[in-house]
Amino acid sequence: MKPLKTKKKNTILFSYLWSMPSLLLICLIVIFPIIYTGYISLTNMNVYHWFTYDLIGLKNYREALLVFDSGFIPALLLTILWTVVNMVLQLVIAYVLASLLNTKGLRLRNLYRTLLVFPWAMPGYVSILLWKTGMFNSQFGLLNQWMEKLGFSPIKWLAGDGIAFICCTVVNLWLALPFMITIIDGALQSVDQSFYESALLDGAGWIERTVYITIPSIRPIIAPSVIITIFTTFKQFDVIYLMTQQAGAKTGAHIHTILTYAYENAFITNNYGYSSAVSIVIFVILIIFSYVINRKPKEEV
Amino acid sequence: MKGKEWKEKGKLLLINLLLIVVCFATLVPILYAFSVSLNEQNSLLGSDFSFIPQRITLENYRKVFVEEPVLLWLKNSLLLAGVTVTVSLCTGIPAAYIFSRKRFPGRSGILQTLILLYAFPSLLSMTALYKLLSPMGLINTRMGLIIVYTGTMAVFALWNMKGYFDTIPVEIEEASMIDGASPIQIVMKIVLPLAKPAIAVTAMMVLIYVWNEYIFAINFMTGEDAYTLAAGLYSLQANETSGSWPVFSAAALVVSLPILVIFFALQKNMASGLTSGGVKG
Repeated sequence: MKPLKTKKKNTILFSYLWSMPSLLLICLIVIFPIIYTGYISLTNMNVYHWFTYDLIGLKNYREALLVFDSGFIPALLLTILWTVVNMVLQLVIAYVLASLLNTKGLRLRNLYRTLLVFPWAMPGYVSILLWKTGMFNSQFGLLNQWMEKLGFSPIKWLAGDGIAFICCTVVNLWLALPFMITIIDGALQSVDQSFYESALLDGAGWIERTVYITIPSIRPIIAPSVIITIFTTFKQFDVIYLMTQQAGAKTGAHIHTILTYAYENAFITNNYGYSSAVSIVIFVILIIFSYVINRKPKEEV
Repeated sequence: MKGKEWKEKGKLLLINLLLIVVCFATLVPILYAFSVSLNEQNSLLGSDFSFIPQRITLENYRKVFVEEPVLLWLKNSLLLAGVTVTVSLCTGIPAAYIFSRKRFPGRSGILQTLILLYAFPSLLSMTALYKLLSPMGLINTRMGLIIVYTGTMAVFALWNMKGYFDTIPVEIEEASMIDGASPIQIVMKIVLPLAKPAIAVTAMMVLIYVWNEYIFAINFMTGEDAYTLAAGLYSLQANETSGSWPVFSAAALVVSLPILVIFFALQKNMASGLTSGGVKG
């Protein structure tokens, strides 16, 4: 009994020794700043109180959660809308394109595939900046050049809330679709073809085949990727920040996701205490979100 | 029978046409930037614009390399990426292996914490990081950025590599254990060679992260000399009133090229190297 115990102790020691450097890095650089963010969220730290801040309790949280006009709750609602709109469009468009790619007898399939994943291969922030200047710029953007040719007057694409939201959605879809198409494309190829053959014999139409065979077959395969994409969409910062609200180059639209909202309060209006409270609230939302998602499969099994 | 065949052919033609349109629409922003970067005319307001530039010139590319400190930014980016990749992999791989193979008290608790940390955008603790690094004199230094990047990527490296190690069957290692191989030998001779594709993908993802990260870089670094490529490109962008759109598009394509090459070289590994860890970069 005794040697077994020392062996176990050795394993524990060995395990912690080898994972120590990584865990230490994570504790110091990731976990400690999060705890420190929690501390800042209880103070009135801002640009005037950078060194001489005081603890003010939960005032920042009250302001964020209970005062609608402070902007956090609207930003949260917009983020939810953003996530739902983007995910629905992404899944539908990706499904249609992936199905088309899997048409029998399509010779140029691999060429189409390569061209369609191109946006995934580009650095995201570069693509967003290219879209912003190349497509949406009101003077020399391509869209307004086309508008002019067709005889319409130019549009300020990023100046209004609604139209900026649509433009940001287009850019986000452009960025995210290649991943989703790849995942659904892979999943479609794994569906057992004999299901379709027997369904065809039974006289099932395209819709019936889609609803009763394709979707149930690919759902478990694409589920993890869809969940990850929901997270990344919910946490989207780059698209909306770079398109509409870069410091010194705001376009006039006031659409905020929770992340751009937290960033603006920290580094534009320098309200560090309040912004930290918002950060902690976002973190709690993400924790609840991932807890709910990680629970669900267990219940099904 | 013949009618049906024609119908099939027509359907295929329609699908081909549709996919060609979609592919073209997808590539429009990039093609447009490419065409602008090669265009000699400085004014793009002419209504006779076409995708094929009338007079091709490399002048904009020359400007990127000669008039802008792009090579300095490249050096900064490569240095930061090199250190971040090395540190996060050297610490992450042993830890990932341990978490994949050994069972010890505290393991599942740490793993659950890691999932949460992975969900946490580092952007949200930017204030705290700034406040912590500034008294140490690490703001506006490469060291400061390296610290931030290494921490974020340590979580990613550990999690992604663990996911991959989980897919390597333990039986291979047990068999060589019976043959008398020591644990170090097993790791060096069997596990690491098997994990090569995952290590390559993880290293590339870390490199791409550093290459593309601009928000910490522009907030923590002041002065063009200290910029990384991403921060530099951010500062070059043309807005409604200033800056040169042709030079910016040339710079944007130059910055994207290495990432495009890496992506298409690793594309086959990309899907497996990423989905096995259950994370997307």
